[in-house]
Amino acid sequence: MSHSTVPRSSAEASMPVKTPVASPDATGAREARPGPGKLGFRLRFRRDRALILMTLPAIVLVLVFNYLPILGNVVAFQDYDPYVSDNGIVSILHSPFVGLENFQEIFGDSAFWNAVQNTFVLFFVQLLLFFPIPILLALLINSVLRPRVRAVAQAVLYLPHFFSWVLVIAVFQQMFGGAGMLSQLLRQHGYNGIDIMTDPNTFPFLVTAQSVWKDAGWGIIVFLAALASVSQDLYEAAAMDGAGRWRRMWHVTLPALRPVIALLLVLRVGDALTVGFEQILLQRDAVGPDAGEILDTFVWWNGVHNQDFGYAAAAGLIKGVVSIGLVLAANKVAHLLGEQGVYKK
Amino acid sequence: MTPNAASASSGPSRRSFLASTAIATAAVAGGMPLLAACGGSDSGSGGGTTSGKNAKKILPAYVASNVVTPDIPSKNGSAMGFTSKLDVATLKTSVPKKLGKGGKVTIMSPYWGSPPKGNNPYYTGMNSLIGVDVEWRNQDGNTYDQKLGAVLASSDIPDVVVIPGWNMTGRIPSAIAGKFADLGPYLSGDKIKEYPNLAAIPSDAWQRSIFGGKLMGLPMPAPYVQNIVPLYRQDIFDKEHYEVPKSADEFTALCKEITNPRAKRWACGDMKWTAFNTFGVISGGEKTLGWTVVDGKMINRIETPEYLEALEWARKLMAAGYVHPQFKLGKSQIGDPAPLFAAGEFLIWNDDISNWYGRQASQITQNPDFKCWGMDLWGHDGGNPKLWAANPAGIFSFVNKKASESVIRDVLAVANVTAAPYGTKEWMMTNYGVEGTHYTLKDGVPVKNDKGNNEVVNAFVMVASPAATIAHPDLPDYTKAMVEWQQRMGAFTQKSSFWGLQITEPNRYTNLADNFEQLEDDIVRGHKKISDMQQAVSDWKKRGGDRLRDWYKKLLDENGSAAS
Repeated sequence: MSHSTVPRSSAEASMPVKTPVASPDATGAREARPGPGKLGFRLRFRRDRALILMTLPAIVLVLVFNYLPILGNVVAFQDYDPYVSDNGIVSILHSPFVGLENFQEIFGDSAFWNAVQNTFVLFFVQLLLFFPIPILLALLINSVLRPRVRAVAQAVLYLPHFFSWVLVIAVFQQMFGGAGMLSQLLRQHGYNGIDIMTDPNTFPFLVTAQSVWKDAGWGIIVFLAALASVSQDLYEAAAMDGAGRWRRMWHVTLPALRPVIALLLVLRVGDALTVGFEQILLQRDAVGPDAGEILDTFVWWNGVHNQDFGYAAAAGLIKGVVSIGLVLAANKVAHLLGEQGVYKK
Repeated sequence: MTPNAASASSGPSRRSFLASTAIATAAVAGGMPLLAACGGSDSGSGGGTTSGKNAKKILPAYVASNVVTPDIPSKNGSAMGFTSKLDVATLKTSVPKKLGKGGKVTIMSPYWGSPPKGNNPYYTGMNSLIGVDVEWRNQDGNTYDQKLGAVLASSDIPDVVVIPGWNMTGRIPSAIAGKFADLGPYLSGDKIKEYPNLAAIPSDAWQRSIFGGKLMGLPMPAPYVQNIVPLYRQDIFDKEHYEVPKSADEFTALCKEITNPRAKRWACGDMKWTAFNTFGVISGGEKTLGWTVVDGKMINRIETPEYLEALEWARKLMAAGYVHPQFKLGKSQIGDPAPLFAAGEFLIWNDDISNWYGRQASQITQNPDFKCWGMDLWGHDGGNPKLWAANPAGIFSFVNKKASESVIRDVLAVANVTAAPYGTKEWMMTNYGVEGTHYTLKDGVPVKNDKGNNEVVNAFVMVASPAATIAHPDLPDYTKAMVEWQQRMGAFTQKSSFWGLQITEPNRYTNLADNFEQLEDDIVRGHKKISDMQQAVSDWKKRGGDRLRDWYKKLLDENGSAAS
């Protein structure tokens, strides 16, 4: 999954880099060029200006919608009052700076630490119970040879992804709620009903089960793509050498998937503090904040609901900083394992 | 805080109530005693209140309107009731000339239930009656607080925003003062006489519409008797010979008798708000109502032992399994409990008083045996209840500060129609819709059909309403029962120290109590303990609760109380 096209330094140029698709004609043009690093900035600019021009719109979008709003984080250091003016920027200018007061308050706020803890618990439960499932499903689907069966199975697996969370949770409530199908069935046979939907102790598993039901099928797409690129020759060769079904999976299929798995794992870890917002928010009241408050709902509650935007922005900023650290760490680990990871120095 | 909401209960519940404009104070010959001095101790973002001479300068004149004399006059803070037959043929006209200039007005408003399509016959009928093109932006009433703060922080605020008092949490009061137009130049003093139906709105409701020293809100006047009634399925009670309880213990025993999960039947919904009422907890309706002087000391409701006892009682009901499981889910996904109530899955529901009529009217068309009735509130120990008064206006609409004069005039034209009193053509149109489309005359009595029950609900009445009125020509015995319930409960009702005032707290204290309602609900659901509440209260004191107490004390010393 390497996307590097033009290595930036000569040191990197010596590394084996998968080049993007290059047709024979195109390679001719490529070879005519001197190697990168030997040219000055202006020459390279002139050579690549068409490409640069083409990326401009995307860069502008990213700047305007991703980078510019980052400046708004300044309210984390303010007692921000969004209502003093109709314009957010004017409001920022009119709100008093309070230094690190919001951060001090957050670090002393047990609700915040509770949210951090819940976030990590959910992340680990999801990592253990959710992450492997799309891989297994992909292997399963891949082993089905009849195209029609395969297409139907894929369609069935993808479909729940397009349901909204409200709907998914309503379905779970109808099945597993206190007056749901399961409970009434139990009661009709003389047992006590159980209410899985409001039990804080099993909440991480409930949430993960919902995620699996909704999104595991969707998650197999990437793995299926990776599997499709494995050359059939390898399987045939392995079979010739007497490798059975399991050995072929172990020595051919899984190694082929390894870079993808590593990449997704790094991305997932970098996103560790984001464990699903809407899904959790909808169920937060049902299990109480001790089990159901995560960092994102904490930010939402304090900012949007209580209009304490400075406090919420501070919590969000902490989350952002920790997330960067996690991405860097996960990427490092991926390198140590000999994988590409998300980027290379 | 969400008094009416009874979180779960508000549901679509309040729709019919609003449709019926059922509210009412009697009002006010001359308004309530106004306060002596002005302003709190702080000014500007420091908060405070406006009363006395300063208020008098901006309050509109009061010109009573007597279209029809009520059959049951207001007493003990109740609404006035109209029970005799309404002669639809001789309705009076209170707005002889269309005041609207044909402009377009967008209104954001809370809505309980599923809003009808934008160009339905009710909306278009009202628009042509008023002469203004009103476009509704309805938002779910149960979670309105979650959207309001963000909308007000944006630069794209609709022409009119409806804000209930119980949604004025956090910094919303300062947003109101900063973002909305001063209506004083159009309504103060005799200027209001241009809009006679608005001039007939009692002065205590207008007094509550003063924010930051300016007349900003168009009020919906309300009875001061609190609005949550334990409604119950009288048809099933009669069939099973259940007795209406008169104490907390009797209620619990009844719940035990009713509950049979195997047959898919539970006793009640979340009874938190009834618990507060029956245990005599100081009002949780609005921040300022929660403060009062007891034995010479300024206290807040959260500091009282009754508060904890009430929560503990409500928690026990849920823990014992008497509450329908749907209510354990909490506000964000409670859905609509009305079908469960109609199906008899639970029999007691604390709900807004308007639904006493509303549930009956909407169910009777499908189930002729259905009978919904209200219980008198009991004292938890079996004696009389000790109730705390609600404010004389609970819902307000505000006009965007950026609106031009012509938009403001158009909004006032809308309000002048929706505030028309009972017995006028405008009232009939606002509350019953178009004859033949939304209601039919049966023996001369207007009866809403399903289309009427779906479309003619809480939209236009939110803009402004007449002095609190209960009038349901189709079910006069319900009208009578509701007004008499208010009068009986009104006799046990007292006013807290800041009743009737619109108070803005200083900015630094506004977020102090944000999480208490959530904590209450978590305790009732067993996710938090009573000791967590005690901890939260002691934290609250340290973080500013005690300083806020001093602020309120000073405000009271300087202004005196409205209720005394």
